[in-house]
Amino acid sequence: MRTDQKESLTIFFDLDKCVGCHACEVACKQAHNLDVGPRLIKVVSLERVENGKVELISVPMSCFHCYDPPCLKVCPTKAIVQHKDSGAVLVNKTKCIGCKVCLLACPFGAPQLDNDGKMIKCDLCIDRLQKNEKPACVSACPVEALQFSTTREVPFIIKEKWLNYLWKVKGSL
Amino acid sequence: MVEFLETDGILRIKTVCPRNCFDSCGIIAYVKNGKIIKIEGDPEHPITRGHLCAKGYAALHRTYSPLRIKYPMKRVGPRGEKKFVQISWEDALNEISQKLKELHSEYGGEALMEYRYGGNRDIIAPLVAGRFLNLYGATMLGGTFCDASEYAGFIYTYGSLQFVPMEIWSEHTECVVIWGHRPEATHIHMIPFIYRAQERGAKLIVIDPRFSLLAMRSDLYLQPRPGTDGALALGMANYILEKNLEDRDFIERHTFGFEEFKKLVEEWPVERASEVTGVPVEKIKEAAEIIATRDTIIQLGMGLNRYTNSHNAVRAIACLAGLTGNIGKPGACCGFLDKSIHHFLTAKSELILFPEGAKINKKRRLVCITGANEAILAAKDPPIKAVICWRGSFIPQLMNVNKTLKAIEKLDLFVVIEQFMTDAADYADYILPACSDFEQGGLIPPYGHRYLQAMVPVIPPLYESRPDLEIWSELGRRLGFEKYFPEGWTWLDWAKILLPEEILDKIISPNGPWKVPPEIYPEVPYSNGKFPTPSGKLEFWSQKIVDYGKGKEGDWSPLPIYYEPVESPVTNPEISKKYPLIMISTLSPVRTHSQYINLPWMREIEGEPFIEINPEDAKIRGVNNGDLVCVFNDRGKLIVRARVTATIKKGVVNIFNGWWVKDGACPNCLTEVYAGGPRALGKAIFRMDDYSPAGTLDGQSGAYGCCLVEVKKVVQ
Repeated sequence: MRTDQKESLTIFFDLDKCVGCHACEVACKQAHNLDVGPRLIKVVSLERVENGKVELISVPMSCFHCYDPPCLKVCPTKAIVQHKDSGAVLVNKTKCIGCKVCLLACPFGAPQLDNDGKMIKCDLCIDRLQKNEKPACVSACPVEALQFSTTREVPFIIKEKWLNYLWKVKGSL
Repeated sequence: MVEFLETDGILRIKTVCPRNCFDSCGIIAYVKNGKIIKIEGDPEHPITRGHLCAKGYAALHRTYSPLRIKYPMKRVGPRGEKKFVQISWEDALNEISQKLKELHSEYGGEALMEYRYGGNRDIIAPLVAGRFLNLYGATMLGGTFCDASEYAGFIYTYGSLQFVPMEIWSEHTECVVIWGHRPEATHIHMIPFIYRAQERGAKLIVIDPRFSLLAMRSDLYLQPRPGTDGALALGMANYILEKNLEDRDFIERHTFGFEEFKKLVEEWPVERASEVTGVPVEKIKEAAEIIATRDTIIQLGMGLNRYTNSHNAVRAIACLAGLTGNIGKPGACCGFLDKSIHHFLTAKSELILFPEGAKINKKRRLVCITGANEAILAAKDPPIKAVICWRGSFIPQLMNVNKTLKAIEKLDLFVVIEQFMTDAADYADYILPACSDFEQGGLIPPYGHRYLQAMVPVIPPLYESRPDLEIWSELGRRLGFEKYFPEGWTWLDWAKILLPEEILDKIISPNGPWKVPPEIYPEVPYSNGKFPTPSGKLEFWSQKIVDYGKGKEGDWSPLPIYYEPVESPVTNPEISKKYPLIMISTLSPVRTHSQYINLPWMREIEGEPFIEINPEDAKIRGVNNGDLVCVFNDRGKLIVRARVTATIKKGVVNIFNGWWVKDGACPNCLTEVYAGGPRALGKAIFRMDDYSPAGTLDGQSGAYGCCLVEVKKVVQ
């Protein structure tokens, strides 16, 4: 667990916007030069019928970069580390032995086995962040459902969005 | 003229995505040592705003794919057996030219036809090819299977095809109707503009046989039976007139033939429209009331083109907009594409097509692409003996694959210019390696916005590939037309014929995109109440369609009457006992028709080929989600997975268009060659002087949705 009180950088999504176009997935493949196999972000689509009405949802799922990551805790070789400034949870492939324990520990399915037998997961595009660019999936999203900010800012953004919705669409608070 | 910005040895080059798509995204390619290392969206593009789509981000995966065709090849085994040997460019071009000379002396020029579509929407290479085909005297390829019927619908109603730009309507409209359109898959950069309109309080109505995430976020969702949109529009019009919600002032001042239209509409009480479309009466009324009382944008998609009655359906919807005064305002318009840039860019195209001093017969045979296979089978005096296929997917995209394969059998020469081993390449006599869009230059006329951009060659051609226009020029020089194809001319030299240099400067990296000024094409079309129709008004009644149709077979009704699609459960009750399901073939978000689906990344996202089927239809057939099913009719069969989903209307199944025949899931193995109206397709053979440019008066888009099938579980 991180011991400092610094805010983390985080990808968050606006569930009212995603239409399941998969741009984030392919942009991620490009940014990490991935082969078929690992999908560090994946759009998960669900459908249900409630009272005769169809309901759909699409969610781009990558890694939440937990403050207290279960994958990091269970890693026997300490191959999973937390990046100090951003809070990104990263895998050091040279230390990874491919035991898959992290895969079982993560409730969200973030860590995956790469084709080389080592673990791979969303790295928050740490290389891009250092060049002041947003993560590839975020900068790709054509409908801006994927967004990027700090953990301090996200609640404020959501507050504003909610009030905007009430005020503009519903007409009153 | 072309300058690139360089930092740390990395060039940053602006270009544009040339796919057949509404968005024509601005791209920035980062190039190091002659290799593209990264692709991003151009943040300076006001519409695509720095974002691409799944296909756009696959650019490197596609360009540098090991699946690329690397050198010219010649068939050595029987056609379709896929046995090829490598040959040199010199030999390939010489042998092809020799064959073309022989065919010309034996049959005349019309024995040759090109097959081309929008695989790359650059306009320069097709004009250079057109110059060659004109000089040779080839059979011309005309029409489109994409949009011609909707285009005709608008020409006969409004006189032109223009649309208020999204950046304007999204700030003014009070209602957005998305009708027969799937922006999630084909027009992704429109979605933020829809959201913007909703944020401002605009209503959203979605009309689609398939429920979607956009429909989830709509205020009203209508799920008509495929091909009944005309009836739906007439039903809405009926309710509007019954409740006196029509825009009297607009009708009186700016429309023609209202009384006749009113009589037609009176035949369509909402109850009848409901019965035909399967949309509940209350929903039709609600939609009609919203459209009549708000400034409404009606954005149609390509879906309406897919039926034999599509020109009338579009006329009915265009008239609905006229009836409610929803046209000519910043927040009210009805249309499906904007052709402003296309017209701007092609204004001087005749200079390339018909070079000065050359003797060119302008009354040659013309084949409508929608029935290209039928035409090859039927053509006589002379027969069509050679096809050069490029920028298009000859086999999977034409209706009735069996007919296409038979047509290929009839050819003496089948040349395929390609990047990948497509179905057509498998059958080729000669395969010529084509450049990707990053290896050749061109100009792209977007149809979803008004920003003009150049496709810039950011890297040299890979392997032995050559730019398309060079291949055509080489053929031209070998056939004795040296003076019309100057040695060494690049895309830029040809571009200068079309556009003045000061405009080219504005659109080529590091500049661009450049918006065609509103002085040339007004941003709010028809705002002065004037329509470029014979009466100068919006025409409910079209005399033009009657006049153009004289002596031509087809449906030349001056009013937007509704009739059933040629193949539907209502038209063919007997056939539908055997094949009760309507099969539509819509678009997947991870490909453009048949492009991209051969790429591993895209296959990984899409998974195995599947057919969407409603749970009730699945249940009575004992089909469960994920089951292997056989989809069949008398024309063929496909084995695919069942995706049982309540998003699709009962009685309808959907399979994504673009699967290759060799993948075993190409929907056109089941479709028949049917075309939208008004002009009857027949054997698709016409004459250049008796056909409208791009088929805009003839219609004849592909009626892919007129297809009845049955689905049964495959017992393993």
